[in-house]
Amino acid sequence: MPINYEKGILNEHLQVRESAGLFDVSHMGQILIPADEKNIISLSKFIPLDFNKVNFNRCYYSFLLNNNAGIIDDLIISKIQYQQKDFFYIVYNASRKKNDEEIFINHLNNYILLTNNSLIAIQGPNSEKIINFITESKNLFFMQTKTSNFLNKEIIISRTGYTGEDGFEISIPNDVSNQFIEILLENSLIKLCGLGARDSLRIEAGLSLYGNELNEKITPIEASLTWSLHKSRLNDESLNGSKILTNQLNGEIKNLKVGLKSISRTMLRSNTKIYNIDKNQIGYISSGTFSPIMGSSIGIGYINKSEINNKIYILIRNNWEELNIVSLPFIQNRYKRGG
Amino acid sequence: MSEKKYSKDHEWIEIDNDIATIGITNHAQESLGDIVFVELPTIGKQVSSNDEVCVIESVKAASDIYTPIDGEIIEVNEKLNDNGALVNEDPENTAWIFKLKIKEPSQFNDLMTLSEYQEFLKTEEK
Repeated sequence: MPINYEKGILNEHLQVRESAGLFDVSHMGQILIPADEKNIISLSKFIPLDFNKVNFNRCYYSFLLNNNAGIIDDLIISKIQYQQKDFFYIVYNASRKKNDEEIFINHLNNYILLTNNSLIAIQGPNSEKIINFITESKNLFFMQTKTSNFLNKEIIISRTGYTGEDGFEISIPNDVSNQFIEILLENSLIKLCGLGARDSLRIEAGLSLYGNELNEKITPIEASLTWSLHKSRLNDESLNGSKILTNQLNGEIKNLKVGLKSISRTMLRSNTKIYNIDKNQIGYISSGTFSPIMGSSIGIGYINKSEINNKIYILIRNNWEELNIVSLPFIQNRYKRGG
Repeated sequence: MSEKKYSKDHEWIEIDNDIATIGITNHAQESLGDIVFVELPTIGKQVSSNDEVCVIESVKAASDIYTPIDGEIIEVNEKLNDNGALVNEDPENTAWIFKLKIKEPSQFNDLMTLSEYQEFLKTEEK
């Protein structure tokens, strides 16, 4: 997927907010794991979900955790019936394929890497209309999934995404994916969008990106993603880093993940240091972009909790620029919840 | 009679007597993508060729803009304060960035003509 197509990042960003965009995210990793007892025990070591409570046709945002509860990767895991068998279907980051697959290879049995499947995301308020030729799409709410058919091939359709908008992600065999995309693009409501808009959309929606907000030294609690942990697992020593997570949950967290907004005309960029009024570093910007919805530069960053009500600054080209701390997300999501 | 030339840093420069008007080329705006802010130079500043005089921020990256010749900055394009996107729309005309009072007119001869710049772009793509 390119950074952008000919009309540019901002145009594609607005296309998704106002109508719909198509992202070819086939670079992401996809795996099917038989939902048997042995695999559940192995997955439970890395993934902070209570697999007894994982329902069919539901999608869960979760992680692979290391021994220190640091995030090896963030992922979406669903339980589905595929070719009449029970599987966990995981979509994971392209940048973390090597690390994730090493875990899969060493700990799981009979898994299927879906290297012959494309992954197509349709995002935006008109997504429902565009995908209605797949009848199962109508029965899905946000974070639900089903298998369906396209040209007699089994596909997996999930009402998920990475933009804060309603939308779908479809895993589809490569040999019919071009025909699928062609049908979608016949609809004038949808346009191809690239990685640049994908990034600015997810920042507006307050969603984390691996390598920016998340890494092996940050736990889900430190990344303000506590909501995604199944609390019953935190007392379970078989989960990597469960003690650390329990301690963090009961104790003090040093840094907070915050939304940042430029006051002047400064662009926020990742890896920029954040300072307090005494010019001591108190945090950093993990992601930055320009928000065409807010009409200013915005970002996500980590800052010391004790500074949350104080003035904060970045040093840009020898000028001290004040930033506003704002709550995430920048724009309210428009997911189709229910069910 | 004004004359227009081009630098290797993808600025264009148009000379009218001892005043030079400077902006970025269409090729430059295409590679920068969506421009959101232009940080204009300070009027009255003395600059030498290849000095960074201002910054263009696009969604993708921040890019320094260099002056191709020596001089004093006498005017900046205030329109770009509220509308950086004008550089995407009309880079080689209404979205000029700054004007210089020229110090060394001979420096103009070292810059490229349009056809030389077009040739230069071909070698850069390789």
